[in-house]
Amino acid sequence: MSLTLTCPICGERNGYEFRYGGEDKGPRPDRARLTPEQWCDYVHMNDCVAGVQKEWWFHRDGCGAWFTTHRDTRTGLETDGPDNAART
Amino acid sequence: MFGKSKRLWPRAPMKTAYDAVIIGGGLHGLATAYFLARDHGITDVAVIEKNYIGFGGAGRNTAIVRANQRTQENVPLYKEALDLWPVLTKELDFNLMFYNCGNLNLAHGEATLKAMRLNVATAQFHGVKSQLVDPKECKELVPALDISDRPRYPVFGGMYHPPGGIVRHDAVVWGLAKGAAKRGVHIHQGTEVAGIGTSQGKVVSVETDRGKIHTPRVLNAAGGYAAALSHAFLRQRLPISVLTIQAMVTQPLKPLLDHVVSSGTYHCYGNQTLKGEIATGAHMDPWPNYTTDTTAYYIKHQAEALTEMLPCLKGVKFMRHWAGLADMTPDMAPIMDGNDPIEGYYVDCGWGYFGFKSSTVTGKYMAQFMAKGECPDILKPFQLKRFQEHRLMGETAALVNYSPDN
Repeated sequence: MSLTLTCPICGERNGYEFRYGGEDKGPRPDRARLTPEQWCDYVHMNDCVAGVQKEWWFHRDGCGAWFTTHRDTRTGLETDGPDNAART
Repeated sequence: MFGKSKRLWPRAPMKTAYDAVIIGGGLHGLATAYFLARDHGITDVAVIEKNYIGFGGAGRNTAIVRANQRTQENVPLYKEALDLWPVLTKELDFNLMFYNCGNLNLAHGEATLKAMRLNVATAQFHGVKSQLVDPKECKELVPALDISDRPRYPVFGGMYHPPGGIVRHDAVVWGLAKGAAKRGVHIHQGTEVAGIGTSQGKVVSVETDRGKIHTPRVLNAAGGYAAALSHAFLRQRLPISVLTIQAMVTQPLKPLLDHVVSSGTYHCYGNQTLKGEIATGAHMDPWPNYTTDTTAYYIKHQAEALTEMLPCLKGVKFMRHWAGLADMTPDMAPIMDGNDPIEGYYVDCGWGYFGFKSSTVTGKYMAQFMAKGECPDILKPFQLKRFQEHRLMGETAALVNYSPDN
């Protein structure tokens, strides 16, 4: 199965139109009292979950929107939410 | 002639305690076990493998070995790895089929050639043979190469690295397993690790689906799964993205390719195996996944790239196509660390698509690390804290995420 992603503007499109933007790591850490450890954690560290993860995508060959969605890394398919199985 | 075949290594009973437990029966795990027993007298070692040894990257890589990396820290490590193949072939009494055919990297523009000049200078500084070649010399090395103006990216020059070549990867798996088992290492296949037990900042046990093992030392050498295990068991996150990487072989052909040929611009490398197939690999999937699925997208890419470089392969059929996992770090250099912050917990991962060529030498030094508890000098640049200290290694420009744009 090849990946399709749901762009909030264009709807379901072929995965190759998009660029992966990394795991969703929450808000950017506050600059005040930021330690190198926290910054490294935010910039470099990943959960690498074998399962559903929330992640960023960029519609590179489309409308240019940045958005988050859920995908199961074991199947490579988008899911409806954090707890759901991949769409078929 | 058809006598009863003997097992290369005996089945071992599962004990409840070992001096060291290695998670992952791939090449890094097996090599570490082998060197723990050979060099440090630690023979009470268990290698725990979820599937069978060589199931992961060890059996899926395209068998290329070389020592023409970019940084000062990497080159000596890979050089030693190259020097080890003939030594291990003898020592393990197992033909690892090291075919020292040399590697030719193609440049399709001045920028690539400039980068190669740096690589060649680094290699020569470390006593590794590597030289720049012009298109005519490329053609002499690989007569099938198209050096005309016809391809979209004509050949502009190249880097020739004679000490590299190919090694039969399965033979290395079997040879190391045989050598390790002979020295007392227990290899447990079909055994899944479910957790790592710690107490007061020290490793005390490993949970498996065949019971609990008490141990003071654990090595996480789970390859593509190392980062997921580290997070799941110890809440330790790693700077890794795991992506599927694909490779394929054509039908067998008469000998036509005497060297490993590669091109970064075309995202393509190829070599002819001893069976005559052209083994060729591609770039990684554009997004992280654990599927190890193969895709039509890459077959098309690979056919186009390969026949641009070697037009005589037009019409040749791909025979097999498979995929494995690459655990990529932002600087394309591995993470080898341990004994800190958890005493007795070691990690050897982030090898991306360099795990095969580095396996034996890494095993040697990780074994030293685990036996003495102190990081050997040669491994110090690869510690995890480099990411916090902004001392990334420079094998490539730092990338946070992997995509075809990179």
